[in-house]
Amino acid sequence: MRAAIASAEAQPLRIGLTLTRTVVVLGAAGVLLALLLVVAVAVGSAEVGIGDTAAILGRRLLALPIPETWAPTAEKIIFDIRLPRVLTAMLVGGGLAMAGTVFQVLLRNPLADPYVIGTAAGASFGAALGIVAPLVLPVLAIGAGTSWLGLGVVQLFAFAGGLGTVLLVYAVARSAGRVQVITLLLTGYAISSVLAAMVAMLMFISGNALRAIFGWLMGSLANAGWMALAFAAPLMIVAFILLLARWRRLNLLMLGDAQAASLGVDVEREKLVLTVLATLATSAAVAISGTIGFIGLVVPHLLRLVIGPDHRLLLPASLLVGAALLVVADLGARLLPGGGIPVGVVTALIGAPFFLWLLRRSQLLRVELSA
Amino acid sequence: MSSRRRVPIFFSFFAVLTLLVAACASPGTSPALPGTVSPSAEAVTTYPATLTDDAGREVTLEAEPQRIVSLAPSNTEIACALDACDQLVGVPEYRKGYLPDVLAAIEDLPVVVSFGPVDREAIVAAEPDLILAAGNELTASTDIEALANLGYPVLVLYPESLDEVSADIELIGDALNAQAEAADVTGEMADTVAAVQATVAGLDRPRTFYEVSIFEGTIYTAGEDSFLASLVETAGGEPITGDLRTTAIALEDLVTADPEVIVLGDAAYDRTISADSVAKRPGWDEMTAVTEGRVIPLPEDILITRPGPRVVDGLEALARAIHPEAFD
Repeated sequence: MRAAIASAEAQPLRIGLTLTRTVVVLGAAGVLLALLLVVAVAVGSAEVGIGDTAAILGRRLLALPIPETWAPTAEKIIFDIRLPRVLTAMLVGGGLAMAGTVFQVLLRNPLADPYVIGTAAGASFGAALGIVAPLVLPVLAIGAGTSWLGLGVVQLFAFAGGLGTVLLVYAVARSAGRVQVITLLLTGYAISSVLAAMVAMLMFISGNALRAIFGWLMGSLANAGWMALAFAAPLMIVAFILLLARWRRLNLLMLGDAQAASLGVDVEREKLVLTVLATLATSAAVAISGTIGFIGLVVPHLLRLVIGPDHRLLLPASLLVGAALLVVADLGARLLPGGGIPVGVVTALIGAPFFLWLLRRSQLLRVELSA
Repeated sequence: MSSRRRVPIFFSFFAVLTLLVAACASPGTSPALPGTVSPSAEAVTTYPATLTDDAGREVTLEAEPQRIVSLAPSNTEIACALDACDQLVGVPEYRKGYLPDVLAAIEDLPVVVSFGPVDREAIVAAEPDLILAAGNELTASTDIEALANLGYPVLVLYPESLDEVSADIELIGDALNAQAEAADVTGEMADTVAAVQATVAGLDRPRTFYEVSIFEGTIYTAGEDSFLASLVETAGGEPITGDLRTTAIALEDLVTADPEVIVLGDAAYDRTISADSVAKRPGWDEMTAVTEGRVIPLPEDILITRPGPRVVDGLEALARAIHPEAFD
């Protein structure tokens, strides 16, 4: 990010962006996302026509008075399986992209993603523990074949693990009331390493549950359902709103701590608040989908190349584009042969080459790197 | 929609309670509730029938199942053995090791699970009124829960001994109102087991190492107290077991245990594994089984690892491998 910061200093931020343009761009993206939703819900391994799909969605979501001409199974497939899955993809993709945008500013590091300071390792450990513990101690078999409030012990452990690890990393990295970026990154790395070793140990003793842990680590939306969504969505939407409201402070933080402080930002407090909000969104996303890579790293870069670094537009755009990208990737995961490839595999397999192509084409980035 | 949701919550709450109780009271065998299904062979199931599966879950069938989805080859074999092959409407992709008539019956059925998670859409599209899943994460617990929440009766089967395989066949017999067929099948299985036991009775019990797989130098075998270890014992061998949880055994422990018979279960799937390849492994050449030429590939591993009616055929093949002289 140092290079980006330098270029940001060299060329003043394009804050002059008019509100109308923001509204038009985001409005168009929103409409496209809604269309994508219908298409993604219409496609799957079982065949339901696009007409029926639109009619079912219209009836169930918009309460339109459409007569029921479709088979009950079609409605079950659309409403109970595909729709929660597509909505989860949107929520998770948007959340990861937005959290990635925030972390890249906070950590001044172009390699920062939402997982870098411990969310992924902590959530993975939580999930693996949630999967293995019931096998070792049957008393904990809350997630085995049933769950509490439709939300497995695995999701709850993953959420707590992700959030808890970042708070721990933050507390350990803090000295004299300040958190240095480099200390934070190294602390995150060290604690993540310990947790990764514990995950490996759990995998070794997990027996048949190995597949479950492995699938979780690769990231999958196959377990998306209304219950998991009802757990994660409120947490994430609150985090989204609070993060969106902080766009101006993110812009100022990009100028460097001293600059931001001189412009009236309580830098240390702001960093903590942003870390907690971004981690909240990430942990909730990871809890219901596993660790899906790539989206949180690349979407922010991609958007900075295309629309510039102003967070008033960048934050909501990352939300929408991250959402759209994960929906498309999950469509690939569902339709490619192999019976449900983990979506994390698809995001990296298709997304990374696309990003490389964009990198090569982009004049902007060459400026960014040479600065 | 909130009223639709309350049902699974309510259900889950009781399922948790059941599970906790089951955890304290040694789960495993799966007798039907008294009063719902009487135990005699001439019994008929009266629907709605409530059954308890191997995960300790209570499953209610509103009517006699007509459309069955099987999520494991063992369940497919059990259904077919109970003359319910034609009621199957969805099966796993894996097609190895079936008898030809079963293979023919399921050939054109929709695939509902390959090696990853189950295809929930395909299952809904098949409109099942009974789903037969496998336990211990062979069917992911998340999938079991999701299918139950979609309103389907899901029986989870995970037998951990020969008796429990029979109990599971009887459980499915109860579910399908096919008690007489189930009694026939389990009776035949008991006969095979008794014949094997009679054949190996009084013979020496060679120290037997069953190789499940060897991966990156880690050797996997029958875990302590496992189903597989009990099969080796029934087949007339003294099992050399691995760790209770990982089922792994260190090479030095295996050398110390000095197997007299090595059974290569993994040779069923990997043609490069043979008595010759074992003899070439560093550290293996001194084992008694290797020097005496008693390293036996077992293609029937596919039956042994499939807890259905033909598991006893796997047992017989295993006994033959351990005591070839007693079977000719």
